[in-house]
Amino acid sequence: MVYLGQYVAEDSIIHSLDPRVKIASVVGLSLVVLQGNIFTQLIISAFLIAMIHTARVNLAQIFKTLRPMVFFLGLLFLLHLFFTDGRAIPPFPLWHVTITFEGLFQGALISWRFALLLLAASFLTMTTAPSDLVNGIERILRPLKIIRLPSHDVAIMISIALRFLPTFLIEIERIKEAQMARGSNFKTGSLLQRTMAFRALVLPLIFNTLRRADELAMAMEGRAYKRGPRTTMNELRMSRIDYMALVVIILLIGSQLIQGHLMAGT
Amino acid sequence: MIKFEAVIYKYDMKDEAALKDVSIQIDRGSYVGIIGPNGCGKTTLIKHLNGLLLPSTGNVLVDGLNTKDTGKVREIRQRVGMIFQNPDNQIVGMSVEEDVAFGPGNLGMPPAEIRYRVQKALALVGMEAYNKRPPHTLSGGEKQLVAIAGVLAMNPLYIALDEPTSFLDPSGQKKVLDVIRKLNGRGITMIHITHNMDEIVHADQIIVMKEGKILLVGKPKTVLTKFEWLNELGLGPPKITELMWRFRRMGSNVRYDILTADEACEEITALIEREGFRP
Repeated sequence: MVYLGQYVAEDSIIHSLDPRVKIASVVGLSLVVLQGNIFTQLIISAFLIAMIHTARVNLAQIFKTLRPMVFFLGLLFLLHLFFTDGRAIPPFPLWHVTITFEGLFQGALISWRFALLLLAASFLTMTTAPSDLVNGIERILRPLKIIRLPSHDVAIMISIALRFLPTFLIEIERIKEAQMARGSNFKTGSLLQRTMAFRALVLPLIFNTLRRADELAMAMEGRAYKRGPRTTMNELRMSRIDYMALVVIILLIGSQLIQGHLMAGT
Repeated sequence: MIKFEAVIYKYDMKDEAALKDVSIQIDRGSYVGIIGPNGCGKTTLIKHLNGLLLPSTGNVLVDGLNTKDTGKVREIRQRVGMIFQNPDNQIVGMSVEEDVAFGPGNLGMPPAEIRYRVQKALALVGMEAYNKRPPHTLSGGEKQLVAIAGVLAMNPLYIALDEPTSFLDPSGQKKVLDVIRKLNGRGITMIHITHNMDEIVHADQIIVMKEGKILLVGKPKTVLTKFEWLNELGLGPPKITELMWRFRRMGSNVRYDILTADEACEEITALIEREGFRP
């Protein structure tokens, strides 16, 4: 089973970067893109493509992660296309419908922007092992203990969720088959009927999950788990390349902030 | 040595006790099999070994440490590892090596020490080649071996196993049993609950339980050959013992206090030598 945006081990600079640097970069660049103009968007897109190339990630593979979002992106585009005021594109307006040059431009810009954010997030998960990702999040959240956010517990929660995701997918499939063998029908019938049939899937799943949680808690306790700080096999340590990458990202973000400011001034 | 001193355990104060005045002793390095019909309190008993359950009255002492002493919980859990039935529900990590690292991480070991222990534990169960694999891609037997490695990484003196093979296919069962015996050979005490008597014919001691009480403690030779008695309890004896018992009923003069195929071969050869071959 391969999921969209799933980590694929590869030996590249990007893969070996400290997860904290990668998480911070994606978050930082995403914020800049959300704030920025078309030039920012062009530059960050070029940067992302260069990084994808450096990481030797298959471009087609990463674009596939957009597929579930195509409807959303299309809708975003159409909304802007039809509801932006400006100069009408001939032969419009037809009847009451108008589309404008500004709408076309806006729609393209906005849907491209969201596609860019999604691609950046996929790029992060495709080049960072889930455990590193969790470690990175844990380290980034650690200072938040002053507001009593238990970063170690959050990390354990995320990693258990990720660990059991495939298990649940397999289990749903099994329950579905078992219920179909007993005459459940999930595919035909009215919406109400199908919703009711869904109960036969959800209830056993919830029941099993609770039992699993109970057994897992017992097993974790048996292995001396206690809430709070624990150690992991790979403590994160920033190398020179990590610092260099961080500087590059900060320069990139800074340049775009200045660029945006100057453009706004003119 | 683990010692149960007059342990009574009630899940709920109103309920009947799940353990009724249990006093046993488990010696360091031994292999102890625990058998009994469903609901007899085997699992309840085993969960007392590392303080997952605490006695309502009485005490459980692990090398002299009382499981009721909250300050000693970590030390006791480091000494006594526990393996459950369903391998899926005891794997926490997103990859094999991370799961094995969970226990040592909980004990607060430094990363280098954790890596060393993970590598050593995986090698001991023969899973070192799987270290980066996500758990859901493993077979049941492999998952159970990972769970055992996870316990081994804490350097335990005792491992308690609650029907460790009941979710596994025959090849998985064999792998897990081989590893358990190998580890016992290295001095780790095994406390093994099972429904399959063939799995514990080599044990040093068998404990038979029923309705929260210890019915009998003894060597496999004396316990597992009580054919009718075991059947009455709903616990079939080992396959070979049953076979020999059937020979006996067919009028053969064969002994049936026999637990393994090798012994059976010897006995049958001896019988032929004694009485000649009568088809």
